Order: sequence, then structure tokens, then C-alpha cells
Amino acid sequence: MKQTLPLIIVFAFGFFVIIAFFIPLGAFQSASQTFETWYTGVLAFFVFIGIFNIVKVNANKIQRRLSDWQYSIILLLFLILMMGAGFIGGPEGGLFNYLFEHMQIPLGATMFSLLAFFVASAAFRAFRARTPEATLLLIAAVIVMIGRVPIGYYIWRGFPGVVEWIMNVPNTAAKRGILFGADLGLISMALRVLLGIERSYMGRGGE
Amino acid sequence: MNILDRISSIDRRIIFLLVALAVIIPLLIPLGLPVDVSKPVRDVYDMVDSLPERAIVVVSCDYDPGSEAELTPATVAILEHCFRKNLRVYLMGLWPPGPELGNLALEAVAPKYERVYGVDYINIGYRPGGPVMLVSLGRDVADLVRADYAGVPIDSFPLGRAVKSARDIDLVVTLSAGDPGVLHWIIYFSARYGTRIAAATTAIMAPQQYPYLSSGQLVGLLGGLKGAAEYETLVETTGRATAGMDSQSIVHLLLVIFIIMGNIILLYEKRRR
Amino acid sequence: MATEIGVWIAALLTLAIYSFLYKDNPLYKVAENIFVGVSAGYWAVVLWYNYAWPNLFEPLVAQGNLINLIPIIVGLMMFAPLIPKISWLIRIPLTFTMGVAMALVILQRIQGEIFPQLQATFLPLSGVSLVEVISNFLIIFGVVSTLVYFYFSKAHKGVLGVFAKLGIWFMMVAFGASFGYTVMARISLLIGRIYFLLHNWLRLI
Repeated sequence: MKQTLPLIIVFAFGFFVIIAFFIPLGAFQSASQTFETWYTGVLAFFVFIGIFNIVKVNANKIQRRLSDWQYSIILLLFLILMMGAGFIGGPEGGLFNYLFEHMQIPLGATMFSLLAFFVASAAFRAFRARTPEATLLLIAAVIVMIGRVPIGYYIWRGFPGVVEWIMNVPNTAAKRGILFGADLGLISMALRVLLGIERSYMGRGGE
Repeated sequence: MNILDRISSIDRRIIFLLVALAVIIPLLIPLGLPVDVSKPVRDVYDMVDSLPERAIVVVSCDYDPGSEAELTPATVAILEHCFRKNLRVYLMGLWPPGPELGNLALEAVAPKYERVYGVDYINIGYRPGGPVMLVSLGRDVADLVRADYAGVPIDSFPLGRAVKSARDIDLVVTLSAGDPGVLHWIIYFSARYGTRIAAATTAIMAPQQYPYLSSGQLVGLLGGLKGAAEYETLVETTGRATAGMDSQSIVHLLLVIFIIMGNIILLYEKRRR
Repeated sequence: MATEIGVWIAALLTLAIYSFLYKDNPLYKVAENIFVGVSAGYWAVVLWYNYAWPNLFEPLVAQGNLINLIPIIVGLMMFAPLIPKISWLIRIPLTFTMGVAMALVILQRIQGEIFPQLQATFLPLSGVSLVEVISNFLIIFGVVSTLVYFYFSKAHKGVLGVFAKLGIWFMMVAFGASFGYTVMARISLLIGRIYFLLHNWLRLI
């Protein structure tokens, strides 16, 4: 039951959605759309459990006075503040949007922008042309980095044209080849999951 | 210890400082480097420009604050073009923060052209559901969209009543930072209903879109902040994207110098062994 | 300088994050934890109002659709690991979502990617300009040699080996281009933040 029922579920729902795609009958289409709607609803619970875990881990940290427990208080405070603002005032509420605009947007953007500095450091320390292939990679990267910005156009008018050719020909060719390979791999993996051959996603005892 | 040894063991905070200065100085003292326009961006511009007055353009803000710096300038430039051409804008998003970020762009641009909410533009907010939602949206909008972004019944707006299915949509412009995004619009909307799709993506995603450009599944592409700057050039405005191009140029030059220096050090170390 | 409190909050949080570049410090940790808390709270609210309530709970509560109890119970099974005796129930929502997701992947990839991309690879090698002929040939050759590289059922020797090697060269150019664009993206994000600090906060530009 613990193994059989999940395998029946993945097989039944998966193949039903695939078959319904090819059968134009109203009942099949309607049922498939219902399952897909349930799917988006159930996905929300994946995030809810994640948030539950964040609260559990940080509450545990505070209770046991583990290292950096004081920061967990700040985390939980702002979690409650944001949730309170959203559930009481609604997602269009003033405080919720204020916190989104003046905290979440700048914090999210700044976190990602930190990578620019580390890319620069890596460019100096790690981007070394040790093999002919790495040399080709770096040459292509340098051409794109200079050609795609105004200074490349300023140095030589033909630079952007060279970059466009690189993007339209070798880049398209390789990306398309990788796309075919990845898609065929993904489809075969999807079939393995639907047929119950691949069970690692079920966790311990899935085999 | 000779100079190359000193350089190779430089504190990384010096590198960070050089990068920061390379960004700050051109912003304070602009160089005014000309922005060239590439074909993929011009194709988007020509597509929007060819639409008749009052045509409906869906602007789908499929990004979050992490990509705001690259995609909001593109959103603003595209909205400028749409409003200048007297096109109607139907804003939405496949990512939750997208329509809120798009709203910031609408608030900045719409008043300039005296555009009226509900008549010339509307924001229907975040639409979850990816594939299912897009298929339903194209088939019958009323099935899916009952109210706008602020919860007001959609039928109370002329533009809300005007969009019934994919047939009423002349172009979709997706500003995409990942999944769901460009691929969803191509597969579940364009492939089914034949609607043309143009995309503005983060620079990271741009190289992956070229196969779709080449196959005609995308009419054009704005890649990263440079793409937004090119579009600003075409619509003859100077926004955040153009302002940032000088800094972008100098930092790229700096990084290329770092790469060259790093490889000179590699050659020197090989020779020393 | 700006006078709005919101701009000051955003600017100070930005500087707190950047202080990490000097070294890890309490200011950075505070900002980091605020970010996690605010983001988690944001997603909880948005997912409830946009996913869970309209798709699962509203049809049950407002319209009396009892069938909606099924996905709600399936979703609640995500919390099953909290009770060891019934922890295996988490497999139900996992397999349900995997089943639907894998079905959508199969349909999506075949219809939306493989067929159109295959069609787009059949490019003309005559009747167009010489430059186009060379470019088209390189695209076809590049696609084939990249695919040959990923064929591991036979050793990459002889003709196969040559094709695989050429595939690697095409991929190196593509990865180099992607790397260039990735660097561009990261720098653009930094420019965005610095622009905010100089324009919106300090009003220097």
C-alpha cells in the first residue's frame, strides 16, 4: 500500500493528462483541467511546509539559544509582520505593499547584485585558459563582453555584428543541440517516473 | 616578490573597490557612448510600431525583484512606445511580484501620455497556473479573469470587456526572468492561438532564446539592460538603462583586463616552473 | 538627499548588505534575516490568495464543491512527516504533482520545442547568399556535432570522435557567449542598485 498506491497515482494522473490532450471530448478535457487546477493548488502546500520549517527551525534556535539565535528573532518578527500585513490588510493592503516596495525589492535586488563583485574576483583569479577549449571559451566571452556594450561599438563599428553572428550561428547551433539532448533526456526521465521505474523522488523506502 | 606576485596575491576587496568605482564614476560623469541597436531589438520595435491604433498588447511581467534592475527599464521603454502609438496595454504576470513591479512602471509612464486606467490600460494582476491558465486565457478570458489587480470587477472597464480571447490580442510582450515565462507563452499561447510573442529577458536567459528567434517562435528579443537601452534609443528616451550603459562598458573593460592579467600571471607561473 | 522614510529604509538595507563585501558583520546578518522573513511572509500571503484559496478552498466554502476536499486533503498530507506513523502519506502529494508535472513536460517539450526546433534546423543550402549558405551549414553541422558529442553508447573514436570534438568547440563558443551575458547580467543588477543609491537616495544624479 505504501509503495503501490503512490505508483498508481503517478501512473493514473500522468497518463490521464497525456491521453486527454489527444481526446477532444469535453469530459476528458474538463477532468484534465480539473487535475491541473488541483496541481497548482497543491503546489502551494509545498511552499507552506517550507515556511512552516523556517518557523520551526528558527523557533528551535531561539528556544535552545543556539549560535546567532538573536537573528532568528528578527527573522520571525518580520515574517509575522509581513504575514499579518497581508492577511489582515489583504495583498493589496498599504502596509503589505509598503514592505514589499521598500524592503523586499531592495533586499532581493541587492542580494543578487553582490554576485557582480564575486564575478570580478573570479575573473581575476579563476578564469584561466589552461586548455585550447578553455581558451576558445574565454575568447568568445571576451568578444561578447566587449561587443555587447557601447564601448565595443565605439572601438569598432563591426564589433556588434560579430557578436550577433556568434549568437545566431555557433551559439544557436550548440544551444539547439543541447536543447534536443536535454529534452529527450527529460522525456525519458518523465516516462520512467510515470511508469514507476524512477522512484528516488519518493524519498526513503521508495524503491 | 616581484610585481606579478604582488598583483596575484592582491586582496579581493581592492578588486571590489575597483568594480564599485567603475560603476559609480561613469554614473556621476557620463561618457555619452552611443548605443547601437541590434536586429532582435529592432524587430520588437518594428512589430510594436506596425500595430494599428488601439491594438491590444499584453505586457506580461514575469519577473521578481532580483531581476528588477534589468527588466523594469525594458517595461518602461515598451510602455512608452505603446502609449505613444495609442495602443492599449493589458498588464499581467505569471510571477506574483511581476504585476506589482509592472504597476510601478505604469504609474511612471501612463500619466505622461494622459492615459486612463480601464480605457487605455489595465492591470489584471498575478495569474497563477502556468500552462492551464494560459490555455484558458486564450480560449475564454472571462473564465479566468473576474477582477483586476485591485479586485474591481473586470467588466466595469471598457478594456476589460474588450479582451475576450486570444483573438483580441495583437501581441504579447513577456518580460521574463525564468520559468514560467517565455517558453510557456510560446508553447501554451502562441502555438495554440497563433498570437505573436516578443520577449525581454535577463541577460542570463538571452543566449537560450536565440533558437526560438531563429525558428520564428519569437518575433524579437531584448536581452538584459543593454536590450532595454537599445529600445530606449529607438523610442528616443533616456532612462535608467541608457544611464547605466557607460558604467556597463567600463566594468566590462575592467573585467577583460582582469581576465588578461590573470592569464599573464598563469603564463608567468608556468614559465617559472 | 531623499526625505521619504521608505527610500531611507531601502538605502540603509542596501548598504547593510554591501557591508558583507568588507567582511561578514552583524549589520549584514540583520539585513539578511529581514530579507528571509519578509520573503517567506510575502510568499505565504501571495500563495494563499492566488493559489490555495481560489483553486481549493473557495470552491468548497463559497460554492459547496465537496470534491475540492480531495486536493485539500492531498495538500495537507505534505505535513504528514510531522507524525512518524503516517509520514509515508507525503508520497501521495509528491506522486500526484510529479505525475501531472511529468505529463505536462512530455507534452510541452515535444510540441513546443522538439518539433519547431527540428523544423528550424532544416535550413536552405542553396538559393540564398554565400554568407547565409555558410551560416546555415554551420548551424546544421553544429547541431549534429553537438548531438554526436552526447552520444555515449559508442567510444568517441575515428569519424565519431572528430564530430564529437567539433561539437565541443561549438559548445565552448556557446558557453563563452553565455558567460559573457551572465557577467553582463550581474553587472546590470549592481548598476541598478548603485543608480538607486545615487539617484533616489542621495539625489546626486
